[in-house]
Amino acid sequence: MYALEINNVSKSYGTFNALNDISFNVEKGDFFGLLGVNGAGKTSLISSIAGINSFNGTIKVMGHDVINDVVKAKYNLGVVPQELAFDPFLTVYQTLKFQSGLYGITNNKDWIDEVVERVYLKDKINSNTRSLSGGMKRRLMVAQALVHKPPLIILDEPTAGVDVEIRKSLWEFITELHNKGHTILLTTHYLEEVEKLCNKIIMIDKGNIIAKSTKAELISQSSTLPTTVQIETSNGEFSPELEGRVILREGNVFTLKLDNSDQLLPILNLLKLADVKINDIKINHPSLEDIFINYLHR
Amino acid sequence: MQPFIQLTKKEIYRFMSIWMQTIIGPVTTAILYQLIFGAQLSKLPTGIAGVSYATYLIPGLIMMQVLLNSFGNGSSSLIQSKYTGNIIFVLMAPISPFLIYCAYLVSSIVRGIIVGFAVFVGIYWFGGCVPKSISSLLFFLIFGSSIAAGMGLIAGIISDKFDQLSGFQSFIIVPLIYLAGIFFNPTSFSGFWQHVAYLNPFLYIIDGFRYGFIAHSSANIEFGVIFVFCLAIVINYIGYMLIKKGIKIKH
Repeated sequence: MYALEINNVSKSYGTFNALNDISFNVEKGDFFGLLGVNGAGKTSLISSIAGINSFNGTIKVMGHDVINDVVKAKYNLGVVPQELAFDPFLTVYQTLKFQSGLYGITNNKDWIDEVVERVYLKDKINSNTRSLSGGMKRRLMVAQALVHKPPLIILDEPTAGVDVEIRKSLWEFITELHNKGHTILLTTHYLEEVEKLCNKIIMIDKGNIIAKSTKAELISQSSTLPTTVQIETSNGEFSPELEGRVILREGNVFTLKLDNSDQLLPILNLLKLADVKINDIKINHPSLEDIFINYLHR
Repeated sequence: MQPFIQLTKKEIYRFMSIWMQTIIGPVTTAILYQLIFGAQLSKLPTGIAGVSYATYLIPGLIMMQVLLNSFGNGSSSLIQSKYTGNIIFVLMAPISPFLIYCAYLVSSIVRGIIVGFAVFVGIYWFGGCVPKSISSLLFFLIFGSSIAAGMGLIAGIISDKFDQLSGFQSFIIVPLIYLAGIFFNPTSFSGFWQHVAYLNPFLYIIDGFRYGFIAHSSANIEFGVIFVFCLAIVINYIGYMLIKKGIKIKH
């Protein structure tokens, strides 16, 4: 059984097709990255999983169909929505207490206290939600998604507007939950977060899947992408045959553009033939962002 | 049932947390009406033997505030939840559309009843109006409140903006309530206008509720019971279907 099964899911708004027959599975224990530019269909997909969107196709959460077995599916799911949402009549604690109650949980004060501490809202626990900053409201939404300890957690840009230090701590908490067996599906515009956290990645564009792979497989494709290499020589001399490849020279450091990393060895041979003494070499591998952009332009 | 109980509690907490506006405000308004109309028009004949105008006015004013507040609770709660986006947490929770609707409905009825009781306490002293039929009083209180609450929920669901909701209240609900025999006996109209007055569904709610106090009704009380019961079912079925289909709530 998968944590999440998406089978032939389509969603349209009038004549606009937000999702076109999308299918993929998320295995239990995955830290799954869902990537796409604005309007790619990520939030439409998440809203469909959460039961907020109508859609064609089937979606199962921990084996429970989100249409025909909706209550069990929802018990197994926690979602941090993209849009900021809060109840202006409640404090942080009341928000989490009532949220727990919506899942039938009435005696989880210890867990609420722990979650509040981990999302750095302990000193705001009795503050009205109206008084919270945007980043604090976002963290409260993360806490709301976790009150019932769902096996599958979906985070739709959970760190947007959250400052760097707290973002780091938030990810430590999410990683801890992942290590305890929770399955995580993440969308974010910070691709370095995906690169660091996710073991599997799916890329969607205009409602279609354009790449679906493990992170390792995607990164391995980086050798076929353009890259740059910085070569520091001891005396500023360089091979005349390679001058055309130099895109930047700063003192004794030459930056060369390569079509792919396979071209590095012939370049080093040419430098050896030209009797150039090399002090240091730095290869700038394509990032996940480069890979993502490459897929978008295919 | 726990999710339903919690959502209902949250909705009751919502209006109780602003009790000055939701409870004391309606009581003050009712006292002012009673002071101005009850005192100034005390000599006005009611057409009912032994019932003064001040006494006649009390049940009408109570039910007016019950209806306005039941309507206002459902409508304002839903549109605020849509506006601040927090309705998403209710929609994502494991609670059926039926129980979501029931939670909003019950909390609105509770507000209507609390306001009704507070208004009764506030204006009882002006006319000495003692209930004569508790069963009629409770029936029209609960079912009348559920009709207004259902209308409020429908208005809250279909309205995109606060001014649309305000228009719904100002141009439909308030005129219907004010023309439903709060301040006058509908039998005092003659001919065509009396027929028009009896087309107002709120008239049967207020008339039936007043029957609970003075044991006299302007319309047929049996017809009123059946009509109010059926109207409550129809209105709330429409409201439930709107929530179930996710009209203007889901995409």
